[in-house]
Amino acid sequence: MPSLGGLLKKRRTKDSQTLSKELEAGSSPTAAQTQTSPNQHHHSHQSHPTPTATSPDAAYTSAQPHQSSHDHHNHSSGTNRSHPEGQPSSMQSAVTQSPSAHNHHGHTHSNSHNVASIQNIIHSSQQSGQSVGGGSHQSQTRTTKGKYSLEDFSLQRTLGTGSFGRVHLVQSKHNHRFYAIKVLKKAQVVKMKQIEHTNDERRMLNRVRHPFLITLWGTWQDSRNLYMVMDFVEGGELFSLLRKSQRFPNPVAKFYAAEVTLALEYLHNHQIIYRDLKPENLLLDRHGHLKITDFGFAKEVPDITWTLCGTPDYLAPEVVSSKGYNKSVDWWSLGILIFEMLCGFTPFWDSGSPVKIYENILRGRVKYPPYLHPDAVDLLSQLITADLTKRLGNLHGGPEDVKNHPWFAEVTWDRLARKDIDAPYVPPIRGGQGDASQYDRYPEEQEAYGQGGEDIHGHLFPDF
Amino acid sequence: MAESSFSSASPHLRVGTKDDKTSTFRKIAEDEEWEVTSPTDPTFQTANSAAASSSAGNNLFGGSVFNEQQGGGIRFRRSPFADPSGDGDEDHDDFDEHPEVPRPTGALNEGFPNNYALGRRTSVSAESLNPTSAGSDSWVPPHHPKTEEQVSRLKTAVSGNFLFSHLDDDQFKTVVDALVEKPIPAKGIKVISQGDAGDYFYIVEDGHFDVYIHPSGSVQSGSDGMGSKAGSIGPGGSFGELALMYNAPRAATIVSTDTKSTLWALDRITFRRILMDSAFQRRRMYEAFLEEVPLLSSLKPYERSKIADALDAIKYPAGSTVIKEGDPGDAFYLLESGEVEAFKEGVDRPVKSYKRGDFFGELALLDDQPRAASIVAKTDVKVAKLGRDGFKRLLGPVEEIMRRAEYEQIKPKPADS
Repeated sequence: MPSLGGLLKKRRTKDSQTLSKELEAGSSPTAAQTQTSPNQHHHSHQSHPTPTATSPDAAYTSAQPHQSSHDHHNHSSGTNRSHPEGQPSSMQSAVTQSPSAHNHHGHTHSNSHNVASIQNIIHSSQQSGQSVGGGSHQSQTRTTKGKYSLEDFSLQRTLGTGSFGRVHLVQSKHNHRFYAIKVLKKAQVVKMKQIEHTNDERRMLNRVRHPFLITLWGTWQDSRNLYMVMDFVEGGELFSLLRKSQRFPNPVAKFYAAEVTLALEYLHNHQIIYRDLKPENLLLDRHGHLKITDFGFAKEVPDITWTLCGTPDYLAPEVVSSKGYNKSVDWWSLGILIFEMLCGFTPFWDSGSPVKIYENILRGRVKYPPYLHPDAVDLLSQLITADLTKRLGNLHGGPEDVKNHPWFAEVTWDRLARKDIDAPYVPPIRGGQGDASQYDRYPEEQEAYGQGGEDIHGHLFPDF
Repeated sequence: MAESSFSSASPHLRVGTKDDKTSTFRKIAEDEEWEVTSPTDPTFQTANSAAASSSAGNNLFGGSVFNEQQGGGIRFRRSPFADPSGDGDEDHDDFDEHPEVPRPTGALNEGFPNNYALGRRTSVSAESLNPTSAGSDSWVPPHHPKTEEQVSRLKTAVSGNFLFSHLDDDQFKTVVDALVEKPIPAKGIKVISQGDAGDYFYIVEDGHFDVYIHPSGSVQSGSDGMGSKAGSIGPGGSFGELALMYNAPRAATIVSTDTKSTLWALDRITFRRILMDSAFQRRRMYEAFLEEVPLLSSLKPYERSKIADALDAIKYPAGSTVIKEGDPGDAFYLLESGEVEAFKEGVDRPVKSYKRGDFFGELALLDDQPRAASIVAKTDVKVAKLGRDGFKRLLGPVEEIMRRAEYEQIKPKPADS
């Protein structure tokens, strides 16, 4: 194989220049275009203490009760609690420039000398999902409740729909950047008995900060709906790419699987299980790196949980049989995901009947197509196993067991974590221009948002 | 959205192309302004403009893109993990790691399921249940008395059902007790309607029911609103089991056809609570038992929890041998219910007896020394078993666990194997 060194180096040079600029562009949806911006250098060498696993939300809210807390307050509280695992800040998602509710927000003091010169250059550049340069952003998403309102955005087309809401592309009226807003109908959430899951979704999103996880900028609610402002991840769903490709070549599947593995490792380190891994929930950023989205079932679970949730094809047997389960279910789902990426279909699918899928899951027989690489089969058989004493990721070695599996042998994990490995596919989009061409079209919502009226469910969603 | 108009004949992604497009692609890839696929490849532009101008995104899966783009499709970069020093299979210019295996040209070969649903899959969820916050201590499952005959009929009715087949006897009995009788007093009654929220599972005690499915997914108004008849269900049959998992829309309409019939009904919350409570109690029991094992006294709670997850419950009838003296030890046991006794070769009387909560065979976690005694079930017993290998895979070598804490001293009881 010819060396890719030259190519890689060239691209990286480019990345590190443009990205660091992009990074430094503040991109709060409500920040004016020329806002000052945080600069990461000051923070990047600090070590950040691990937040307590228990109720970090409480800590955040008490430190930053509302959006008017800014500047010193904001910063001092924030410094203590980003980088939850003390990772180098280069791990941090670049997206994460502060979305403060204020034009003069909490980071400006850190080194404005640097910032000022950059502002002139980059004011129009859209933040990106890249983090090669290492975006450090400290406290910003910690004040996310009630942060924005409908008036801050102009609503554009629908990017996706779900059982109780939809996701819109939106543009900030302040900085003209693009974001995605997930709108959930409260009545529907209540009817579907998903109050707890919805509050968990918001809480978990607020806690996580990782290059391969979607960033939540803020939330609010009105009498009928909940709103969550998140990154607009331009490359669309991995699902669409997979269906167009039918199946991925081994190295392509490996690349995506590896990024998911790092994200799962991060979540599990925070005692968060994700519970809804599938290609539909994996987005591609403009450079082709993954972002896991939809935390609708994510939950902090130190020991065991009971609720049956997920997607039928991806449910682990311990979920189907209602035994109580834990993080092990995400590793099972990773196995199903890898299988689907390599084969184009899921291993337990059966004539469209969920009952048959569940029977197959409990039976546990997987037929591996002959074209699968033996290493892939070996890994899959150790992920898609009902025996919890054999399932990789759940064992003594933890996620390392997965990462050290021969199928992942070529993966340099630290480089991958820095997004220092080029994605195998770069979505054909015009970055920063609200290009939603990679998303399927959906019928648009008929009911106007932001209507008044009695808010009978508001008290159920105290965190929004 | 995006239903499966995916053409089964659509050319697959073109990896491993040997034509001159490859070199074009390489040049482009080096051009920093072109991080997209080949500019000579209008696939996405076509797709995009089509998507933008039409009402739905179906065309992403439509034939046009693929059919017009013979040789186009998705083109991936070379392996993201290319390692100049490596010489593995994957270090070709392309991804064709098994050149001898032809790429699938359609959905029919290579084991691709027929009619595989290519659309997005909806997430499902039951209501959140939690043993502690649900106040399960005070919750008692409903008990509706049944005759022996009824019970045995019910057992037969659900024995093949995946939701019941893995239940243990206690759980099974509690579930059967919770089934409530539901008389259907007339013919033509819709027991469930397609598209409605599902909360109950039903077993037919007597009478017959017809199954109707409307292609739209829910009952429509009008005379044909239920769709066409798809089958019928008689005594011993059952329907609606998915409702025991989560609130899924009913997949069919079920209508009574006899003037009088009887159903047994079970709702999801009751079912899930029974399962959860019993699993939760068993787990608490396991964890409590494990705390009593000196060898494992230094386990952290999450480690005990992991072990508890992996314990296998096994039943032995009275008189059977659980462990045989002299066999290599490979597993450790907690006694969940019943009594067992330890016997040694050449000794008439049991050298030790065990009751609920006791454990035996734990030294097998250390090595495979021969069992020092036989363990024989005195009554019907239920044990929870964990193999040494499984233990090690979950928690690492026991020696390290023992070393890590101020573990005092193992005192193997005489009968410990």
